Amino acid sequence: MSTPETATGAFAIVPRTGRARAAWQSLRIVPLLEPRQTVSRAMRATVYLSALFLAGVLSVALLVWAGVPAGDLWRELSSVAFNSPRALASVLAQTAPLVVAGLATSIAFRVGFWNIGIEGQMILGAVLATAVAVYDIGPEPLRLPLMALAACLGGMAWIAGPGWLKARLSMSEVITTLLLNYVAFNLLLHLLYGPWQDPASRFPHSEQFAAAERLPRLGWQNLTWSVPLAAGLALALWWVMSKSRLGYLLDLLRHNRHMAHALGVPVAGISIAAVLGSGAVGGLAGFTIVAGIESRLTQDFFVGYLFSGILIAFLARNNPVGVVVAAFFLATLMMLGQSLQVFFGIPFALIRLIQAIFIISVAGSEFFLGYRMHWRRAA
Amino acid sequence: MGSMRMRGIDKSFGGFKALDKVDFEARPGEVHALLGENGAGKSTLMSVACGLYAPDSGEIEVDGRPVQIDGARRAVELGIGIVHQHSRLVEAFTVRDNLALFNPGRPVDDVMRDAQAAARDLGFEIAPGRLAGQLGVADQQRLEILKVIVSGARLVILDEPTAILSDAEGAMLMELVRRLAQSGRAVVLVTHKLHEALAHSDRITVMRGGKRVAEALPQDMTPQTLTHLIVGANVAEAFIPSGAVGAPVLWLENVFVPGEGRQRGLAGASLSLKAGEIYGVAGVSGNGQAELAAVICGIGTPTQGRIMMADRGDITHQGPADRRRQGLAAIPADRYRHALAGSASVADNFAVPGALAGAYGPWAWFNRGIMRRQTRDAIARNDVQGVRSTGQPASLLSGGNAQKLVIAREFQGKPRVVLAHSPSRGLDVRAAAAVHDRLRQARDAGAAVIVISEDLDEILLLSDRIGVLNAGRIAAEFDAPADRAAIGAAMVHHEHA
Amino acid sequence: MIDLMGFWLISLPGFAVPFALAAIGLILCERAGVLNLGAEGFMLMGALAGVGLTLNGTGAPVALMGGALAGVALSFVFALLAVGMRVNHVIAGLSMVFLAQALTSYIATSQRWTNNAFEGLRPVLYGQDAMVFLTPVLVLAVTWLLFHTRFGLALRAVGENPAAADAAGIDVTTMRFAAVLLGGALVGLAGAYLTVAVTQVWVDNVVGGRGWIAIALVIFARWYPWRALAGAVLFGGIEALIPRISAAGFDVPRYLMQATPYLATLGVMIWTAWRRPTSSAQPAALGRHHVREARG
Repeated sequence: MSTPETATGAFAIVPRTGRARAAWQSLRIVPLLEPRQTVSRAMRATVYLSALFLAGVLSVALLVWAGVPAGDLWRELSSVAFNSPRALASVLAQTAPLVVAGLATSIAFRVGFWNIGIEGQMILGAVLATAVAVYDIGPEPLRLPLMALAACLGGMAWIAGPGWLKARLSMSEVITTLLLNYVAFNLLLHLLYGPWQDPASRFPHSEQFAAAERLPRLGWQNLTWSVPLAAGLALALWWVMSKSRLGYLLDLLRHNRHMAHALGVPVAGISIAAVLGSGAVGGLAGFTIVAGIESRLTQDFFVGYLFSGILIAFLARNNPVGVVVAAFFLATLMMLGQSLQVFFGIPFALIRLIQAIFIISVAGSEFFLGYRMHWRRAA
Repeated sequence: MGSMRMRGIDKSFGGFKALDKVDFEARPGEVHALLGENGAGKSTLMSVACGLYAPDSGEIEVDGRPVQIDGARRAVELGIGIVHQHSRLVEAFTVRDNLALFNPGRPVDDVMRDAQAAARDLGFEIAPGRLAGQLGVADQQRLEILKVIVSGARLVILDEPTAILSDAEGAMLMELVRRLAQSGRAVVLVTHKLHEALAHSDRITVMRGGKRVAEALPQDMTPQTLTHLIVGANVAEAFIPSGAVGAPVLWLENVFVPGEGRQRGLAGASLSLKAGEIYGVAGVSGNGQAELAAVICGIGTPTQGRIMMADRGDITHQGPADRRRQGLAAIPADRYRHALAGSASVADNFAVPGALAGAYGPWAWFNRGIMRRQTRDAIARNDVQGVRSTGQPASLLSGGNAQKLVIAREFQGKPRVVLAHSPSRGLDVRAAAAVHDRLRQARDAGAAVIVISEDLDEILLLSDRIGVLNAGRIAAEFDAPADRAAIGAAMVHHEHA
Repeated sequence: MIDLMGFWLISLPGFAVPFALAAIGLILCERAGVLNLGAEGFMLMGALAGVGLTLNGTGAPVALMGGALAGVALSFVFALLAVGMRVNHVIAGLSMVFLAQALTSYIATSQRWTNNAFEGLRPVLYGQDAMVFLTPVLVLAVTWLLFHTRFGLALRAVGENPAAADAAGIDVTTMRFAAVLLGGALVGLAGAYLTVAVTQVWVDNVVGGRGWIAIALVIFARWYPWRALAGAVLFGGIEALIPRISAAGFDVPRYLMQATPYLATLGVMIWTAWRRPTSSAQPAALGRHHVREARG
């Protein structure tokens, strides 16, 4: 029978001797931590929503402090996303790559692999996809699928190294995936200031893709096929995660991989599949942007997606459907940021700050799911 | 000096009452045995005594003065020292640094001088420069005792000190315990071993279900009366020999596996498991038990030697998946590492073999409804108590019920080979008896059963044949009924060769 | 060639000092068992504080101190999450990087500190500034603190076996808090040195991954301050080589060249892990929370 654990004195600095100690004894109120055995669904939801609410309140306060009139904030927010089909369309266009990046991050997190190299994987994916476009590889009707495939391969190639190093040498993937972001970025600059520089404008970006190399338009507003692509991917991954045997085994791995191995679950194979899958989807996120939004390879198309991907995966609890919701929320926030920048001169960094507040608030809230706190006099 | 009196101690965790109005007294010069099963509240009571838990109510007196023990440091100031069941040494530190850590506020040289003197009084030597992690288990335990004595402990609490020692090492420790008492200290010996309490204590307190059920002198007690007090009923388990021993099913030929850290690993282990027989592996912890279990499960790979299975041939390089397809069932020692995922649900834990075999649908469609139904049936059949829903985390099960869940899963198909490593560790007598019963049933159904246990009583109770694992190989084999003393001798023979 | 070598040697310490300071700060923190992936963020905070104070005319020494304090401020938030609230150390560390990136960028933009060059720390001897000479002293001080004091003994015990430290009467939470704050000061100082002495200007993300390299450096150094100093000289040497090579007129692809510090870091990490598993050297309880264990 295991009984609950307790810990005392989270913040207590106790005088060692004498009267100071005696005085301290009489005053000392310490938080006693007791790990929770079970957490009900309602409790989980309450804590999670409270964390979101707290972050929301802090964000509004921050924006008002930074100079946005409180009355205008709500008007801006609603006009950014919901007032017109055009506004909604631009939020959706922004949502699509965020969904793909969030999915990429959440696949890896789901098996406990801290892939924080999503930007590097996006760059490699975009670079290989651009290579297909620049060198006109394959017949035109197959050009886009080939670009997407190349993007997946690029992302997989960029994550394979960290995955292998973790499996073989127990090297932390956090540092290896992150360092490779910088390597990928410099590779990108090398290409854009070198062989792939746009000969027409001499700007550091590639030539514009031909029509066959761009995701076609949907025919509603300015949206391209990136939106259904992202939605389809989310749906497919939702099926894998919650309706297939693979999803069950993935969760088992996260809970206890030693036990899974001892019971004959192909742990290595499943982990490799999940890690490579994460890389492939990361590459696809790069493809979604260059082929669906920018129509060319640019030097900053990926900026911020590492952070956004982690925030989305975290808010969504690695659930693919949740990823879609969180990505939509984040896209709205970003459009709001752009609009505030234009109309009130608020630096866009403030939106990043709000994202950080959300991630910290939700991360901190898990404390209340993990522990029960009693404030009591030390006895 | 050194007396402690606890009166009416209550302590609850959540809704669970761990201690219920417990009285306890330790006197100078006396060894007081605190006896009870796992979960009886012994450790909780001692955690209160040394300041790790604050009691919900009750009084504590040290040397006749009422005190509040609000932390480990306060306990040390009051002269109360505890030696935990699991080592609380910093293995990366030297002996000297470990002693210094535990005795702050004094020059290290003084601490070391006291330690040397105390060690000599108790009849052993210390090597200040050695890393604590490189000491043997018995030496680590002596260092722990020294640690608390040097810090001025007049009351020394030893929590299950002989659990991981060989019989010989245990006997030496008991001598040391006697010397501690003779030096005028009060000693509390927390144990679940009857004979230890009867032979080495001056007073016995028995706990059961968080309550003190008796305090008595050893000369007034017999093993039978004590058992009855501890368990609360008569649970008599006896050896039942096998009806029909068949042909060998699985055998190891001269298997070598390197050990990890201080572990010895396997060095030329050979043994053969027969259908319808329980083969018990006795031995002192750290002589290759973990590695033996690992190679049989397919988690570990031998560097030399072969593992053979009847009509399957050489299975040395097969992983756990293949071994299980050939009829292996395993009850590992480390329950929440190799047997169960504590944070996953009861159903998820039960369903692994079925899921792999496709019992809940093809790859693309995993039918959780069938999974939950099957789990519910299996739980009922195997008498797993305390499951409110199949969705509850497995970590909420008590030790005995968690073990029953493992058995329910492992014995679903008809296993040909059953590996059970310390199957009753942490279980109370009744739960242990239930587990032993299931092992006998598997044997009687024709399985080859191997039980690896450091508890010699368990081995003697179950085994038709006993192998002694010493320095990584089977040093001797005995047929039941076997002579306990002879097995004990084989366990420690040439131990340091 | 002689010029190349000479310039390289003179510029090397400037590149090595931030690595060394950040690494010993991280060692302090991780020796107490708190995995610190927020280094990049702590350095950014220190770097910005250094810029802000210098631009407001406080003088370099105060700017450096301010950088250390900024590191302490952010590490307080980190400690609150990772130690006090038992948030997963990886998530807590990453969120500090994000917080610092956003916060520094916001402050620098709204205060118009970006791209505003200034004169910072000046050389005192052999073309080197005072911090170059102070850094080995700080490495010595951290070594002394960790391995020759009771405080260090307790700190390491908390990182190796919190249960044992707890049993010895050490308040694990308080000790970890102290280690995080102390380490944060040094990492913040590293960031401040970077802007006040090396770049002498603020641009967003001026730290540019040096925090992550410092984390790798700690692993390479197997959590020993002196080895970290040696590693810092190595990594600083590689970084110092890049501008020298292009200045000397060698025709190498500029951007591929800029990727070398990261590739070199990866190479050194792989080599370190290949020789001996990292797990054997790291503090045994690194990244693990401590809550008292209970048995019934």
